[in-house]
Amino acid sequence: MTNRRRFLAGVLAAGACPRPTWAEAGAPAFLSAARASDGRYLLCGLRASGEVAFTLPLPDRGHAAAAHPVHPLAVAFARRPGRFAVVLDCVTGQEIARLDAPEGRHFYGHGAFSPDGAHLFTSENAYDAARGVIGVWSLASGKRLTEFASGGVGPHDIKLMPDGQRLVVANGGIETHPDAGRAKLNIPLMEPNLSFLGLDGAVLDQQALDRPLHKNSIRHLAVAPDGLIGFAMQWQGDLSDDPPLLGLTRLGETPMLVTPPKAQAKRMMGYAGSVALLADHNEVAITSPRGGLAQVFDTDTGALKRSFDMADVCGVAATAQGFVLTSGTGDITHEAQGWTTSHALQWDNHLVPV
Amino acid sequence: MRIHLVALTLAALPALSAPRAWAQTPDVAAIVDGHVLPHYRALASESAELAGAAAADCAPDSVQLRTAYGDAFDAWIAVSHLRFGPSEADDRAFALAFWPDSRGATPKALGRLISAEDPVIASLEAFQTVSIAARGFYAMEFMLYDPQFASVGDADYRCSLVQVMAADIAGNGAAILAGWEDGYADLMRQAGNDTYRTPDEAAKQLFTALSTGLEFTADTRLGRPLGSFDTPRPNRAEARRSGRSLRHVVLSLRALRDLAARLSGGDAGLDAAFARALQRADLLDDPVFAGVSDPQGRLRVETLHQRISEIREHVSSQLGPRLGIAAGFNAMDGD
Repeated sequence: MTNRRRFLAGVLAAGACPRPTWAEAGAPAFLSAARASDGRYLLCGLRASGEVAFTLPLPDRGHAAAAHPVHPLAVAFARRPGRFAVVLDCVTGQEIARLDAPEGRHFYGHGAFSPDGAHLFTSENAYDAARGVIGVWSLASGKRLTEFASGGVGPHDIKLMPDGQRLVVANGGIETHPDAGRAKLNIPLMEPNLSFLGLDGAVLDQQALDRPLHKNSIRHLAVAPDGLIGFAMQWQGDLSDDPPLLGLTRLGETPMLVTPPKAQAKRMMGYAGSVALLADHNEVAITSPRGGLAQVFDTDTGALKRSFDMADVCGVAATAQGFVLTSGTGDITHEAQGWTTSHALQWDNHLVPV
Repeated sequence: MRIHLVALTLAALPALSAPRAWAQTPDVAAIVDGHVLPHYRALASESAELAGAAAADCAPDSVQLRTAYGDAFDAWIAVSHLRFGPSEADDRAFALAFWPDSRGATPKALGRLISAEDPVIASLEAFQTVSIAARGFYAMEFMLYDPQFASVGDADYRCSLVQVMAADIAGNGAAILAGWEDGYADLMRQAGNDTYRTPDEAAKQLFTALSTGLEFTADTRLGRPLGSFDTPRPNRAEARRSGRSLRHVVLSLRALRDLAARLSGGDAGLDAAFARALQRADLLDDPVFAGVSDPQGRLRVETLHQRISEIREHVSSQLGPRLGIAAGFNAMDGD
């Protein structure tokens, strides 16, 4: 491990030459975790055309990944309640470092890099106290430097804001404890929120939904270059309620909630899987694996612009024109360009832009 | 060539039709009438009895009160998997059953009420505004079975608290039943409405009740006290003060077995898996899972957990696909 760390320190050291770039990893446009037909778990780089640029083995089922802003490094997170995150060199396929959750903490499956890529922020569960924390890791040493409060219970997705100075965290509100598997322990009392934090953990803004929506777990995030936030939710209340599953907001503002048309709401079963923003077109997309449905809404009005059927769709990412979607059946579809490629892989929850 | 294909198709039909006949869409109306309504009727009548018993004698050690409490709690456990529709309106089910209580909210809320002699308990209507942690069967268990709460504060206040708790339980039991009888049952029986667009959607709701009920019994009723090998948590066993932890596992498995039989059209393999789990539970001889702290006792509880996992596996890999409910890689991930 010492050698690997030294290697990583070398990779990251200013002035080290030549430094590998994402081009040398086959120029992937996206990262996604997947399960192969033989049951192995992988992290894959995907080109904009839907081709696989590389595949790297993972020790267990992945969830999301974080792409290093400069170097061809990816951090792949275990699915919650995961104990590991692996830093992978996407050129050589080597595992460079493994981040092990400290005693009493587990990962939730998402993380975000600091603007220079030197630090990684991870959403974690301090489960004996049921407190959400953000772990701060040094990539060069693989060490956990510190942690700060996430601003709520059950932090899930975390993204860096475009100014590079702040983080936005989806505190899903659901208490879990690894002893009870994935059982939800506090549904009647849950209070999800969206927290904007400084990189030092200072709480800058917190946005919660109105009390009747307190069972709407805020889980996944998309951030546009102008600071617009899209958040996807998972409803924990009764399904006859047809709750909004998408929200749009900005730092210091009140969220606008988007409720799908009734017939589609029924199909979605209270569950949005992923969200992506296409700021130039004022578009936001969410996926519904339970409904086999993806929808694109207008970010200004919340009006449904288009929707399409795709079995077990979950991953979504924006491209210059429209959205790319991935499914648990192995398909990758570009909804605007109209192509689909099929792979002998089951694409996992999230499609992460590089 | 075309003729050939037709012949092949026809030849294949008998083979196909056998499993198809076995995989009929479940009779949702029969499940509502034979499983859901009788169980919720029992909850309504037993909880009304409980309210009557508390009104007649509120002493924590009253045999009549404890018997009525046990009967009503039994009736709740038998519907605790049917968490949709009327049970979720106004958080009725949570007000009946606030558990697990990972942060100790119930004793805290009760302690606050009693020490302040909060007059909010004077009327049922007012009591229904207090924290759900201070309401329902699990809060009442503290009042009847926890030595601290049986003696703390003013006796008359405690008596009134027990009585209003029982009345609240009865009110929720009646409200859920009314919700079913006054409309929700028909929404399920006669799909093609905003709640259930097709009979398949209603069947899917019942299938979800089966699988989440099994999950709750395995991961929460057993998983909470099991904790980890290094840190077992016997004090987290459900309703351990009244000695009902194992009883709840058995009662829930019996109710789930009935639902599974109806949903699967009498799948003998599935029923046998329930029988194995229930047999294991009968042999356990550990009513509050105190044994999780010693290796042998722990193994026995883990074995029961494993038997339930086998039922869950059967439900997800065989019953689900037969009902046309595919467990998608992402669709059922829940993350």
